[in-house]
Amino acid sequence: MKLRDVLFIALIIFVTFILLIPTLLGSIGATPPGDLRNIAKLYLYLTYNIFNKSFWTASPEAVTAIVWDYRGLDTLYETIVFYTAIIAALMLYSEILGQRDVVGGIGLSFIVKRGFSIALLAIIAVGFSTVLHGMLTPGGGFQGGAIVAVAPVIALIVFSRKLFDYSKLSYRLLVALRSLALTGIVLVPLIPLALTLGNGFIFQNQVKTLARFSYPSTIIDVPMGGSLLLLNLFEGIAVFTAFMLAFIVLLYSEDLSKKPLEGEDIGY
Amino acid sequence: MQVGIGYVENLIFILMGIVSLTSIPFVILAVKSRDLLMAVIYSAVQSTLYSLLLFLLLAPDIVLVYVAVSVGLLPLLTILLVKKVGRYEA
Amino acid sequence: MFLITIASLYLNIAISIYGVIAKPNLVKKFIALTIAQDSINTVAILMGYRVWREAILQPPILLSWSPSPKDLQDFMNRAVDPLPQALVLTAIVIGLAVNIFLVSTILHLYRHFKTVDMDEISKLKRGAIVEETA
Repeated sequence: MKLRDVLFIALIIFVTFILLIPTLLGSIGATPPGDLRNIAKLYLYLTYNIFNKSFWTASPEAVTAIVWDYRGLDTLYETIVFYTAIIAALMLYSEILGQRDVVGGIGLSFIVKRGFSIALLAIIAVGFSTVLHGMLTPGGGFQGGAIVAVAPVIALIVFSRKLFDYSKLSYRLLVALRSLALTGIVLVPLIPLALTLGNGFIFQNQVKTLARFSYPSTIIDVPMGGSLLLLNLFEGIAVFTAFMLAFIVLLYSEDLSKKPLEGEDIGY
Repeated sequence: MQVGIGYVENLIFILMGIVSLTSIPFVILAVKSRDLLMAVIYSAVQSTLYSLLLFLLLAPDIVLVYVAVSVGLLPLLTILLVKKVGRYEA
Repeated sequence: MFLITIASLYLNIAISIYGVIAKPNLVKKFIALTIAQDSINTVAILMGYRVWREAILQPPILLSWSPSPKDLQDFMNRAVDPLPQALVLTAIVIGLAVNIFLVSTILHLYRHFKTVDMDEISKLKRGAIVEETA
């Protein structure tokens, strides 16, 4: 044990104690806390209150209502940050986007291919069901999109790149789908403003006292949540296509990925 | 401190303490190991223990995102990186 | 016992930040960074828990679709805080997008410098700058 290792371990324990002593004395409140904050009680009371419909959101799930209705603008900006990060990751390889790979493959064996085809359908079904039920049970756009995004990555490894290069699921189709989903996310909060000719709010879900516009609040007899269903659906499609694009570009072979780097050692 | 707490809640707190104490050796092993593939696997085991801790804290939405991202997508991405870059450090 | 959970999460944060700073390999820094992100998100959710001694707690999801006023009062008294969960959801997705961008940058650095060790990259870079300005 060198002196340097002992010093680092002592430093880590010292930092942990510095964070722990104010917590023991009550800097983040009593541990564990005995009562909720007032704003949390307000959100829980107002989100599915059928007796006092002045602030309700027609969805019995409090977390989805906070993410897409009470704090809708935060989620809109977060979608924009996500979009920008994926664009930045793709622009490093802008010369080779959408090209067919030079090295072909045959994928894994027959047993793996047959077994994985069944699992692929199951993953996509579970993911879309999670997206569509986001306002009744735990679920929503991000969760379902992340679940569905696992499937094409493994398909790329099991079936080899020929499945994607020679199919209709090309790069331009995925980018078009993604742009359509993002347009949908931007349009759904602006429709109340357009349909009431300036008398509504942005991100309006149900009827408020000053503005008389509302998305439908039930589908036959199941609470729908108004704009929450549409926003969840568009967000799920946007997240799934973004991950698929990023993984298709990162999994090119080395011969093709060195093309954007040609000429860097002689300074162009 | 806590006086007169119910019997069931005491059990849940004990379970939370055991799960989070078990995740400390895996974090130490992930930082110390020189074989990068084993570091990825230790980090995935630690993520599984964290998802059990998040379930005990009654946050079901977070568990769905966490399992899909931290046990599914991130180790896949990192194993791809380790394959292209080199398996052993130093 | 709740304090032991908080203390072990603080220890995880400290060890993973040590791993980001002190190890020269870029992939090891990336793995330690993901562990730090996860631990900090878990501390944020831990602050939304509560203790109510007369009944069992429930997650913030209402179970009946036509509640009576007593159901709403019970829900308000027994549910866990939903606000940290909504904020952590956003934080996890943004963290994943930034991680994908980081992996793309590490691959690009490897193809340029032929190594992923930070010490050797800084030596090569220093040599390149000295060459250019000499």
